[in-house]
Amino acid sequence: MAESPVKAEITAAVWKIEAGPGTRVAEGDAILLLESMKMEIPVAAPRSGRVKAVLVAEGDLVEEGQVVATLED
Amino acid sequence: MVWQAELEELRRREEFARRMGGADKVKRQHDAGRLTVRERVETLADPGSFHEIGAIAGRAGYDAEGRLTELTPSNCVFGRATLDGRPAVLVGDDFTVRGGSADATIREKPLMAERMANEFQLPIIRIIEGSGGGGSVKTIETTGRANLPGGVGGTGLFNYTTLNLSAVPVVGLGLGSVAGLGAARLASSHYSVMTKSSAMFVAGPPVVARLGEDLSKEQLGGWEIQTRSGGVDHAVETEEEAFACARRFLSYLPSSVHGLPPAIPCEDDPGRRDEKLMAAVPRDRRRVYQMRPIIESVVDRGSFFEMGKMFGRSIITGLARLDGRAVAVMASDPFFYGGSWTSDTCQKVVRFIDLAETFHLPVVYLMDCPGFMVGLEAERSATIRHGVRAMAAMNQCTVPWCTIVVRNAFGVAGAAHQPAGRLSLRYAWLSARWGSLPLEGGIEAAYRAEIDAAEDPAAKLAEIEARLNQLRSPFRTAETFWIEEIIDPRETRPLLCDFARLADPLRRPEPSRLQMRP
Repeated sequence: MAESPVKAEITAAVWKIEAGPGTRVAEGDAILLLESMKMEIPVAAPRSGRVKAVLVAEGDLVEEGQVVATLED
Repeated sequence: MVWQAELEELRRREEFARRMGGADKVKRQHDAGRLTVRERVETLADPGSFHEIGAIAGRAGYDAEGRLTELTPSNCVFGRATLDGRPAVLVGDDFTVRGGSADATIREKPLMAERMANEFQLPIIRIIEGSGGGGSVKTIETTGRANLPGGVGGTGLFNYTTLNLSAVPVVGLGLGSVAGLGAARLASSHYSVMTKSSAMFVAGPPVVARLGEDLSKEQLGGWEIQTRSGGVDHAVETEEEAFACARRFLSYLPSSVHGLPPAIPCEDDPGRRDEKLMAAVPRDRRRVYQMRPIIESVVDRGSFFEMGKMFGRSIITGLARLDGRAVAVMASDPFFYGGSWTSDTCQKVVRFIDLAETFHLPVVYLMDCPGFMVGLEAERSATIRHGVRAMAAMNQCTVPWCTIVVRNAFGVAGAAHQPAGRLSLRYAWLSARWGSLPLEGGIEAAYRAEIDAAEDPAAKLAEIEARLNQLRSPFRTAETFWIEEIIDPRETRPLLCDFARLADPLRRPEPSRLQMRP
């Protein structure tokens, strides 16, 4: 499978990067945590693979639908 | 046979109707991976149950002796059929005849379908493709004049698309490109489904291109656009799946507002206590959890049917069964803004409660709402007005209501959990917590002077927070009967099944005072 995008489902601030570039993740693992309404909302891997790039930094504001990371095999 | 010649003529005309727009057009429909309207109707209905009305209405050609040479059928196919044994009206657009547009429809046909649903008190399923019987620019030439939409003295079709929402279940299926009147007929429904290869828009790419937006059908009105915007409730891969969705939706509803939702025998133990519920909500208040498994665990096994998943996502809405009885379920999804109600969410809540009210479905609300969404975007989208509108829908409804406070209930939206003017059932889980305002941020606002005056403001803030945290145990609230019951989460299913049984005799098989809008 080629590179696949990981999108934020909500507009929120990036709280913490959980899986940096190179990390192996399983489907459903949190790649990063957003903070919304005082809660930590994971952005989960849509499939298993390796994190190729994380395109945002902690503290950044991301928009709903924004690509925040990419996965590769 | 006395009438043999006439019988043969009838069969010949019916044969023309079965050919639809001709072999070429049928092939084109199939090549694009879509069924013809006749195949759709046959697939959707119980086998052999479709009884067509007006099959031979269309545009005929005659030779010099006045003998029929051809007949292009109307592109509206309708009739009655049974779905899982229950009668319903089916009406479908034939895209092989003039792309489904008005100049080949014979307007009385779709109108009679709507009227039949209304007066015979039957659900209606609209199978929509193309402009859904709407006008095309060509109509100007064929009629020699431009059409003023709405006609003289009002429009029968728009009258019934409104009336039927308060009368019978209305399902819209968008199968192909759906525009104009087709889009209106699809959206004006209680439940709409499109296939993922379909698109819906007010006007398609050519019209939009003239306004400077160069977009494909998919980019303009594909399923991802329409399900996220709330234009269409659900998207599926195949037409067969769309038919299955329509049937399943109808299985929870009465045939009209003059009946009650049918109950079925329950094969799941109403007293079942799921041990997993004790661990469903994390102790760490910053951590979120999956609500859907909680819903699945408390309703009859396999009975949850979600609607509108991609829109207003901080609330999950769907139909389900409790001890075999149909109920409407709303539940928070903390993965979306912690479960806060955005303006989209509020719109979803209004439409869902109206659906429950219209068809006499008791409502179960699994609540985890930290409030209405806050921030600039929330203000820009008039969250508070949509919010009080959702509260009004809740307060105006008359169906039995039961709320489980799973975790948060804060702010004005915290009050939006039961009808304000009448008694409903309410239980709080051990994980429940509430307040007029979340402590975080709320303390800074309420104790500003005290914090500012302190030598170490941060320490003062922490001290106040610890003080207040001690006081906000739900047990202290229960001491004063501000919450009537705190329960072991494992008791949820037995209590909800009990609620469904209590609700049974309270439902009334008569039209609600509410007049539902799309």
